[in-house]
Amino acid sequence: MRKIKPEMRVIFITVLLLFAAFLFLPLFILLIRSFETNQGYNFSNYLSVLTDPELIQAFINSMKISGITAIITTILAFLLAYAVHCTRLFQPFKKGIKIGIVVPMLLPTITYGFAIMYSFGNQGLITKIAGRNLFDIYGFNGLLIGYVIYTLPAAFLLIQNSFVYIDKKFIIVSKLMGDGTFRSFMNTILRPLGGAIGGAFVLSFILSFTDFGIPASVGGTYTVVSTQLYQVMLGSIPDFNHGAVIAILMLVPTIFGVLLLSYLDKFNFHYDKVADTELIPNKFRDISFGVISSVILLGMFSVFVIMFIAPFLNSYPYDYTFTFKHILSVFQSSDLTSVYQNSLIVALATAVFGTIITYSAALINARTSVKGKNSIDIISMITNTVPGMVLGLSYLLLFNGSSLKGTFLIIILCNIVHYFTTPYLMVKNALSKMNPSWETTGELLGDNWFKTVYRVILPNSTSTVIEMFSYYFINSMVTISGIIFLITVQTSVVASKIKELQHFAKFNEIFVLSLLIFFTNLVVKLLCDYLQKRALVKKTKTYKVKVRGIYVNKL
Amino acid sequence: MLKLQNISKRYNNKTVLDDISLEINAGEIVSLLGPSGGGKTTLLNIILGLTKMDSGNIFFHDKDLTNVPMKDRGFNIVFQDYALFPHLNAYENIVYGLKNKKGLVTPEELQEYIDFLELEPHLPKKMGELSGGQKQRVALARTLVTKPKILLLDEPLSALDGVIKESIKERIKSIAREFNLTTIIVTHDPEEALTLSDKILIINEGAISQFGTPQEIINKPKNDFVKDFILKQLLIKRQNIFNLFEEQYA
Repeated sequence: MRKIKPEMRVIFITVLLLFAAFLFLPLFILLIRSFETNQGYNFSNYLSVLTDPELIQAFINSMKISGITAIITTILAFLLAYAVHCTRLFQPFKKGIKIGIVVPMLLPTITYGFAIMYSFGNQGLITKIAGRNLFDIYGFNGLLIGYVIYTLPAAFLLIQNSFVYIDKKFIIVSKLMGDGTFRSFMNTILRPLGGAIGGAFVLSFILSFTDFGIPASVGGTYTVVSTQLYQVMLGSIPDFNHGAVIAILMLVPTIFGVLLLSYLDKFNFHYDKVADTELIPNKFRDISFGVISSVILLGMFSVFVIMFIAPFLNSYPYDYTFTFKHILSVFQSSDLTSVYQNSLIVALATAVFGTIITYSAALINARTSVKGKNSIDIISMITNTVPGMVLGLSYLLLFNGSSLKGTFLIIILCNIVHYFTTPYLMVKNALSKMNPSWETTGELLGDNWFKTVYRVILPNSTSTVIEMFSYYFINSMVTISGIIFLITVQTSVVASKIKELQHFAKFNEIFVLSLLIFFTNLVVKLLCDYLQKRALVKKTKTYKVKVRGIYVNKL
Repeated sequence: MLKLQNISKRYNNKTVLDDISLEINAGEIVSLLGPSGGGKTTLLNIILGLTKMDSGNIFFHDKDLTNVPMKDRGFNIVFQDYALFPHLNAYENIVYGLKNKKGLVTPEELQEYIDFLELEPHLPKKMGELSGGQKQRVALARTLVTKPKILLLDEPLSALDGVIKESIKERIKSIAREFNLTTIIVTHDPEEALTLSDKILIINEGAISQFGTPQEIINKPKNDFVKDFILKQLLIKRQNIFNLFEEQYA
């Protein structure tokens, strides 16, 4: 019904061109390159990759460890979500769980690996407290711990978000009907949550399968797909065609995963009205879930404790005298401070431009009737599917000869495309909930379209805009998989610098840089949360936007 | 005077409006009455300029508006859900359009509108703090200060309850009188239409069933649709109310 204005078309075409150049074309080139050989185009690259025993082993390893991670993570995430929603634990304790669980999201995954080494390694903090080596951390065990910590926040958010929509009145109805504990649990919790639990499993699997930071640090001799891809591309004899094949093969499970996710979403129950219902008191339940969730959270934090201690000691684990010298030396090293500056530039630019592009795309999709606007939804599904490493690699193949190579711009664009889905769904959701007559009203009151967007639409989505900004900023601070193929000496950022410092065993520097990322992200997160709350309060309670979608925190 | 000439509209091969012609005099209140999906809102949007018609013409004071865009027609509408801006308070909502057209309304005139709609005490309030009737009045004020040549109201009473409904009804009548403003109202409630308007346009399945004053419709229903759906409903209501009061006062 709404009229299409020329300016809407201009924005729409700009968005389409952007994704054509920085999503479709690179992926197309990637596909082409995977078939390219000395003797023209054929399947020989695929054949040689699929017959390489080392690569086959890496695939099997990846599948196995991602599967085990997904099982463990899903169970832990469910227990935590259950503690938050189905017990009568103190409110502050529940809030503590919700905040504590997302803390690892503020750190690059490569840091997890080093934290695990310094906790469980031969001289590790936890090893010392335990008095013996608990297990060998290089390889399977270390990877498993890292992946579980990494995927737990995303899985928890997914399940707990579905818990919000579960009507707890049914628990009481079920009890009144004489159900036993097991039947009641099956019918009122597990069945309605089926979709979300399946989703958490798939999400954890994809995240572990495509992560690079954790195997890069603690993988040891246990090869996985992402480290193999890195070696093939940047090892002693780079082979771009084989790299393209591995990237395509990496894409296949994620495509299945994303399709499975959207299929599982149909299993989610949608109760029309969710009333706040008092839960039946049960001391045993509350105490046991209090203990379980404390153990999970403390276990997670204990891995990171070392990161806050080691850099302040003279020489961990030999000399425990307190010192600021490691911190100071990082700040005095022009090399490291400039890397930190690079990170800030990239994160800020990603957040600013990413928010603008994503907002424009969602605006076209949610609030105009431009023909073909659904293509933006398809784009957002594709960006959700493509792992960071695959995207980065395809940029490398396409832009290697161009002037974009080695610039901040290409890193920023890669981050914007890589993390497009979640902020897009956030703002699309917010925009489509707004009154559909606002643009007409604005026009009748003398506005042009831009003016209505600026005077009405934007002020009513401030809180979402801040959330998008914070999401883009934090993720581009911590990502390593997306940019590892794109950075150069001049454009090196903190997360990739950590990878480099690993070779020189400069663990103090690694931890200080990780702390820098952590506190930068913490400040941005707290600031954004505060601004968001203020934006919501300013508008009274009328338009609180609840995002119901999948928070995929890809790295 | 607003003149509609042979207006037709189809959506996906389904005729929504079929050859509608009528004239509305200046200062009149006209209701578009009919069942849901009958085409009345489409007709309202065509008059507003939001929806394009497939064929036909619209004249206002003998000027052909058929191809004049919505913004330049000088009509204005209050939507069913009011479409008030939640980030602004009542006063800021009312003067929203005045920022674009400075000098359209003097401060004295603005105050007159506010007083007329009794909005003074509510001016600093956010939309979430207003009742349904108050929101309706803010939306009316926001529209009226732009001095529309025709006021369009889409189901103005549907979101309101009992007593407020009656008071807003009186308010709409007095606005039309006070500002000699042609007012076109969409409604599906016969009682509302017949007690509120000077003339009623009954639309069924995209065509005019009857166009006339309330008396004409009550006394000379043109066809079975008017009899069965419009009058019958009113008669049942009347009977119910009579029963109720006779029992009480017997």
